[in-house]
Formats: sequence, structure tokens, C-alpha cells
Amino acid sequence: MLFNTIDFAIFLPIVVLIYYLIPQKQRWMLLLAASYYFYMSWKVEYILLIFASTLVDYFSGIRMAGLPDRRSRLPWLILSLCVNLGLLFFFKYFSFATENLNLVFQKVGLAREIPMMQLLLPVGISFYTFQTLSYSIDVYFGRQKAERHLGYFALYVSFFPQLVAGPIERYSRLAPQFREKHKLSYDNVANGLRLILYGLFIKMVIADNISGIVDLVYAHPEHYGPGNILKGIVLYSFQIYSDFFGYSSIAIGSALLLGIRIMDNFKTPYLAKNISEFWQRWHISLSTWFRDYLYFPLGGNRVSKQRWVLNILVVFIISGLWHGASWTFLLWGLLFGLLYISERLLNDALNLHRAYPAFSAGHLLLAVKTFLLVTILWVFFRSQSVDDAIHIFKLLFQKAPTDPQALLIPLSTWIFLLLFIISDMLLYNSRFDSWLTGRPFLLRWSIYAVLLFGIIAFAGVENFPFIYFQF
Amino acid sequence: MLSLLLLFFVMNLVYKSLFYEKDLQKYSSIINLVRDVPLDADIIYLGESSNNTVRADDLDKRKISDFMGDYFPGLGIYDLTKPAAHAGIFKVLLEQMPEESEVETVIVTLTLRSFNAQWIHSPLETSLQKGLVLLRPYPPLVNRFLLSFKAYEIKSGEEREADFKKQWQRDKLSFPYAFPHEHVREWDRWMAYQGIPDSSGEIDRALTELACHYIKAYGFQIDTLHNPRIADFDGIVELARARGWKLVFNLMAENTEKAGKLVGKDLIYLMNENRELLLKYYGAKGVMVVDNLSRVEDEQYIDQNWTTEHYAEKGRKTVAKNLAGAIRSLYPEEFRDAGY
Repeated sequence: MLFNTIDFAIFLPIVVLIYYLIPQKQRWMLLLAASYYFYMSWKVEYILLIFASTLVDYFSGIRMAGLPDRRSRLPWLILSLCVNLGLLFFFKYFSFATENLNLVFQKVGLAREIPMMQLLLPVGISFYTFQTLSYSIDVYFGRQKAERHLGYFALYVSFFPQLVAGPIERYSRLAPQFREKHKLSYDNVANGLRLILYGLFIKMVIADNISGIVDLVYAHPEHYGPGNILKGIVLYSFQIYSDFFGYSSIAIGSALLLGIRIMDNFKTPYLAKNISEFWQRWHISLSTWFRDYLYFPLGGNRVSKQRWVLNILVVFIISGLWHGASWTFLLWGLLFGLLYISERLLNDALNLHRAYPAFSAGHLLLAVKTFLLVTILWVFFRSQSVDDAIHIFKLLFQKAPTDPQALLIPLSTWIFLLLFIISDMLLYNSRFDSWLTGRPFLLRWSIYAVLLFGIIAFAGVENFPFIYFQF
Repeated sequence: MLSLLLLFFVMNLVYKSLFYEKDLQKYSSIINLVRDVPLDADIIYLGESSNNTVRADDLDKRKISDFMGDYFPGLGIYDLTKPAAHAGIFKVLLEQMPEESEVETVIVTLTLRSFNAQWIHSPLETSLQKGLVLLRPYPPLVNRFLLSFKAYEIKSGEEREADFKKQWQRDKLSFPYAFPHEHVREWDRWMAYQGIPDSSGEIDRALTELACHYIKAYGFQIDTLHNPRIADFDGIVELARARGWKLVFNLMAENTEKAGKLVGKDLIYLMNENRELLLKYYGAKGVMVVDNLSRVEDEQYIDQNWTTEHYAEKGRKTVAKNLAGAIRSLYPEEFRDAGY
């Protein structure tokens, strides 16, 4: 069930309505049933994977809580890691690993071949695996008490607004809210609906209208001249941002309708002044996960410079691979790591840590620089293979006086894109719902009307699932 | 609430006046088929690719509906031809016919194959259904909302393939005599395994594959309660009744000759049983059903290695003649022998 379908438009109000009609003690059951139904609407069988993750982490947590020290808790943590990462590896990385191992065997002249398996990636597996792993690790370190109620724990693993593409929540933030009594409040409903409206607009009107154009360029870049290839590359930056940001806004808004607050996942990342700041503003729930559960345990920056460089590279490469089992994602992560390190070293060496006021010339120049760097790296992210990415870069710099084929981009797409950029600037360090709060009635309703009309009359009609669903 | 209604009214007005027509042309250009029919047309013929597919060596490349028109030179006969269309599409097209249209008779192509699992769950269905959303009987803004929010069955090609394979296994075959295969999947596998020998006794792979296609295309028994095509045709009957149209279902010819040769009497039994059912079922509803099922000889089928209703010139003329002969009773004064 996608957020931008009539099914979800029926499902969500029904869940919200029943939620506020039943006693608080029964609400977890409703949310759990709704979450399982939501997930099973993709493929019924894959709910078994969620059951497996839930049960293993639930019992590991309880076992760990009963043990006095980390050493005795370690086997249970290892069990949790093995089951969760094992499932993730099997479904996501097995084909990639066997394909590359077979290539190695072939190169060294071994007549052995590991049989390949075509597995359908269960939607959201990377997200809920990381979410539930954070719980096990926190219980292991004693930062989190073990949950004794299987129902609440199962709901933490599967809560439908953020189940398939995050934000990846921590137990300490999300789970206690399930036990709180949430009254139907005007603020929550109004803000939730605002976020859903804004999220739908940027997904359906911006991302989905760009999507077809980007697909054309990436499918046959040789059909287009450098100008149009550049348009395709830049538009992809906006597509992936509006697609994922749109999803996250709908997720946060849907949860807010139930009185539950989920962490923000984006804070105007394309206005970041450097790569480090970009990652503090882009897919925040994943960046902070890697920071807390990988970067810090590796020693963070309290180590020698060489070790710090290694830590950063490890984190970015794993982060790249988290997105997908492909050399393009690995390279994308590696390049981001290298950029991050070079920027930091350069800034340290030249003492460039100057704070620029928001929207000053310095800020805007640096933001454009960061945007361009990120946009270049998205080419690796979007391409089917490293060769394809290199092919696109080569075509970008070819000499072609005229485009072999025209790339038609409707005027409405440019207008909406411009509106999106303006709104992103207005929302710098803010969020759509809070930005609207307290604005004059006429302004608020004019904005609602424009968004609503845009969603209905200008939404892309092709079925483009959210990009991050494939991860 | 009042202000929300007002907002909807204004938005609908803006959308209808500025954007609806553009969207119709972009996403539902099928509407133009209906718009091209003059208001004073007497007969309309709704068909799929069987109406206008021709063979390269045909001397006369006109459509079945044109050949039929030769029998009624005094009548205005127009066609609405859409490849891969079926009764569900025809029904929506007929709903779009303007009230002031003077059409008296509606001829709808009734293709036996369109009742099979593979056609019902065709990968083309998602895009066909999408093309109909803007034509639903709601205000334009509501229709665009439904299109934006994908209010039609979205399934990938793989999902639809899984659906028809499941149905092949689910629908049990029943014969009045002992038949060794429980369902079409089993029958198909048996045929693929058994194979059809060529003159030298070796298995002819191409012929075997074709026999399997025939089994999958015609190896079914129409369930009038659950087959969605029946529901679509029933809808057309209701609509024709409401609009006062005379309704004719033109049961298209299938290559029974080849089916018999490749697969045998069991498949012919099913085809005939389905034919009888359709004649009886729609005859009882007052529809004139024209039976062409075995009228076209094997040689006249354009696609010799696939199951289609694409006929060469003589085949198209045969169907047209049979159809004209049947509706002669509706227009006795207008009938002229075209000499085919």
C-alpha cells in the first residue's frame, strides 16, 4: 500500500478514527493489526521476516536484561545481529556476493560456481532491521531497558507510518509514546494533515513529474546532448529529494494524526554549506544511526588522524552498501567519504570554519558548491552500473552542437520545481507545519488550495513507487 | 463544510475549463473514438484488433465493419476499434455515447478468448484501466483525483502473470467423460512433456508450443457467476436496455480447425460448450448473438503460430457476411447482397 494511493487515503482515516474511539489500552492492538495489514498488502509471506526479527530481538532483549554484564550478554547480542543481518544479507546481498565470487573464481581459474538465486527484496527490510538492531545494541550496552510486552515491542518494529522507509526510530523515543494516552487534538490533526498535504505535493507533483524525464535520460543518455544530460542529472537531485522528503513528511504527518511524534528526516539538505552539514540534514535518522552504532564504536574522531580517515571511509562505504547491493552504491559511499575527509582537512588547514549568516552570499555560494558535488555523486547512485555512470559523464563532456533528441519538460514542471525551491528556502531550519502555524488564515488556506489543486490536477499519473522502498 | 464545498466547486470549475480536455487527450484519448461517431449514425460496431488487422496480400484491406456496411449501403455504420479491448472497455465507451446520439443498433465483438485467464489478467490491463479513469461518471476533478491517487488496479506484469497461472491451477475442468487432467496447468504440462511428433517421429517443438498455447487460450469453462467478462457484458446489456439500443454480440471466429488438429476433441468440446453457454445466456437476455465460432477456415488466420482473431480478407468478409445476414431481420428494407 503506497502513501499516494486511494487505498492509503481510505486506510489511514479508518485507522485514525478507530484509534480515538477505543480505549488507550487497546490501541496497540489496533496499530499492530493495521501495521501488519499495511505490510502484508505488499507480499503476505514477508510478514514472517518481521515476525522472526521481532521474536529474536524481543527474547534476546529479555535474556540480556537478566544478565549482569556485557560479557554474559554478548551471545544474545550476537544472536540478534546474526539473525537480523543474516536475513538482510540473504535477501539483499546474496546475489551480489555470489555474482562477484563467481567472477573471482572465474578469474583465478576455479571451475566452481555458486548457484545464483533471484530473490525479491522484502520492502523495508533495511529499515526495520536497523531499527530493531538499535534496540538490541542499546539493551546490550544497558542504555535501554528490555521491553517485556511482546505487543508493544512488535509495534515498535512494525509501526506502519515508518515501517517501509523510515525514519529509523530509536526505541527510547518511539515505544514510550505507544503507552501514552493521546487525546484527539486540533494541533496534532492540523499539523499532521499539513505535513501529509505537503508530502503528497512534493512526491506526486514534483518527484513523479520529474521521474519520467530522468528515466529517459538515464535509460538512453546517448540520445541526448550534454545540455539535456545535465538537466537529467540535476533533475534527479530534485527527484530523489522530493521523493524521499515527501515520503518522510507523509510518514511523520500520519503518525502525528495518532499523536505520535517521529523524528525529522530532512532539514533543507540542499542548503547545506558542506558535505558534513549535508549529512546532518539528509536522511537524518540513518546518519545518526551510523554515527551512534558504527562511527562512535569505531572510535569516532577521538583517534589518530589516520584512524579517523579510516573510520569515516568505513562508515560511508557501509552506508553506501546499505542502500543497495551494487558497486555503484559502494563507490557512491566511498566518494562521499573522500569528499567529507578532503573538505574537513582543507577547512582545518586553511582555517575556513567561518559561520556565514543564513542566505548571505557566502552561505549561498557554499550551498551551490555542496549541491553540485552531491548532484555529481547522485549519478553513481542512480546509474545501473559504474560503466553507465562513467558513460554519462563522458557524454556530458562530449562536443555536440545540437541535441540528437529533444527532452520535453513541460512548463508546469519548471513552475512547480521553482515553487519547491522557494518553499525549501522558506522552510530553512523549520518545518512546513510549524512554519504555517500562526500565519494569517487567508495565506494558510490559499496555500492549502494550491497544494490540493496541484496534487489533484498536476500529479504524475505513472506509478512510480517511492525510491527508498527498494532499499 | 460550506467553504470546503465552495472550494471544491471552484476547483472543479477551474480544472474543467482549463485542464480537463488536455488531460483527456493525454491519458484517455480513447474518448476520441466515441467523439468521431456522428450523432446520426445508425449502427456502431465495437471491435478490437480483429476488426482492422489485415494480411499483406489482401486485395481489399477494409475492416469487418466496412464489409458489413456494404450490405447496408443506406445506413450510417461506424466503428470504435481499440486493440486489446474487451467488454469492460466497450462498456465505458458506450457510456460516453451522447444522449442525443441517434444510434439504433450496437454490435459488440464477443471474443471467446477474452474470457480466459490470460486475457483477464493481461499485463496490458493496468494501462487500459488507467485510460478509463478520467471517463468515470463523476465530476472531472474527482476523476482526476482518482487518477492521481491510482484508483485502478495497479499490478506489474509479473503479478498479473502469477494471477493467471494461479487461475489455471484453480479452475477445475469438468467433462461428461473421463478426462485425465484436473486443470489447464496440468493439461499444458502434459502436452509440453508429451509433445507433438513430426513426420519423422521426432518431437516438433514449435507445434508442441503452439498446442500448449491453444490449451491455455481455450481450455476453460465460463463461470457466469464469477467471470468478470460476463459482468462486463451484462453491464452492456443493461446499458443498451436503458438507452433503447438493439444489441448484437458478434461471437468471433476462432481457429477450431487448428485447435482440433493440434489438441483434439477435448479442446473442441470446451470451445463448443462455451459457445453454447454464451448463445443461451445472452439469448435469454434478449441479445442477438451471431455465431461465427467455426466459420473461418484455418488458412484465413493471419497468425499461424499464435491464437488470435486476425483474419485475412476472405475471413473478414465471411464474418461480415454472417453478421449482415443476422441483422438483416432488423433492417430488411436496407439489406443489399454485397456478393461476398
